[in-house]
Amino acid sequence: MALCSALAVSSAAPQQQPGYKSFPSVAPGAEGQKRTPEFFVMIDPSHGGSDKGASLGGKLMEKDITLRLARELRRELEERGIASRLLRESDIDLSLDRRAEITNEQRAGIYVALHAARPGRGVRVYAPLLVSAQQTPAGRFLPWDSAQSGALSRSQAVARAVTEQLRKRGLTVASLGMPVRPLNNVTAPAIAVELAPDQDDPQSQETQRRQNSVTSAIALGIAEIRSQMGSRP
Amino acid sequence: MIPRHFQITVALVLLAILISGVVIIRITHKEEAMTLQASEAGPVAPVVGGKQEHIQLLLAYDEDQALRWRPADVFLPADRNLRAREALRSVLAQYLQMPSPHPLAKGADIRDVYFISTDTMIVDTTAPFADGHPSGILLEELTLASLIETLTANVPGIARVKFLVDGRERETLAGHADLMSFYQTAVVHEMAKEFE
Repeated sequence: MALCSALAVSSAAPQQQPGYKSFPSVAPGAEGQKRTPEFFVMIDPSHGGSDKGASLGGKLMEKDITLRLARELRRELEERGIASRLLRESDIDLSLDRRAEITNEQRAGIYVALHAARPGRGVRVYAPLLVSAQQTPAGRFLPWDSAQSGALSRSQAVARAVTEQLRKRGLTVASLGMPVRPLNNVTAPAIAVELAPDQDDPQSQETQRRQNSVTSAIALGIAEIRSQMGSRP
Repeated sequence: MIPRHFQITVALVLLAILISGVVIIRITHKEEAMTLQASEAGPVAPVVGGKQEHIQLLLAYDEDQALRWRPADVFLPADRNLRAREALRSVLAQYLQMPSPHPLAKGADIRDVYFISTDTMIVDTTAPFADGHPSGILLEELTLASLIETLTANVPGIARVKFLVDGRERETLAGHADLMSFYQTAVVHEMAKEFE
């Protein structure tokens, strides 16, 4: 596993051990200023490039739906005054480790992975679940497999807030804890949302309306949890 | 002298018999091929000994998005490794039959099962198990929870399980579920309860 992409906090950083990565506690160049970094949501349109994700009937692939959902979520967040970034803007390959690395390097406030797959017709909201035995951090270095451990309770709070907003919109929602990659490698509060498209017609107007409703509910949930927990949940 | 119309009739009857014979032979060959293909999709390892036991399998039901315990009569050897392998293959056999509650690709099977410590088990699956697995968070997690829970229910003393695919580590099962971690069976047990 690559170990060199994490940002060094200082030149006196301890030596990395296999399976561990360092994560900065302050913004680069912000030493001495102690300013609060800008809060933003990292939106991950899962899959992309050669990784097509789930096949949803005909030529419709999961990677295409997730990108569409991501753009819609960005618009919804912007309308509520919340900054956001997309991990990919086009149909490119991006490994799961790299997605987590970018999110950690840029110190996202919240990470949201978007997915679309069968079965069912509802929406599933996943909080991280640490299935491996917890390793202790070695100085500044966090075990990669459980980098999420420090943010787990906040991830669960974000998942609850989003689930609540989805339910308010009359959508069928399941809220679960799952070891979904790369949630456990992200140091920020992280959730994954999986939309189950209409099996009969995944591109129907009803499905489109539901997708818009889902992104709107995610944005509302994030706005709510942000106001509850301060600028950096 | 045989009348011409009689010659034509006999010729037509013979032709009809010939065509029927060809059609019957082709249908028979097709059925044989289908039977052979179906048998190839099943478990490939030789049948093991042991006594027949009435065990419980935790099976995934995609339509209901649920896991349910189902009884099965399975020949289980005394050896822990073989016992674990047979329990897992019993689950896969349920998924490979038609109709299936949780369809997996043909050739999905267990290559090997072994302990690397007293309580840590490695489950090595065939390539088609992962390559042909339907993609999706829920579908993949149901598969793993079903296998791990069936293991712990029928082979005592397993605290951690790690999956390999064709003898190697793989990041995910089919793009979502983590295959790099050593799954703590106690955590999976709690996760599975959410689907029962």
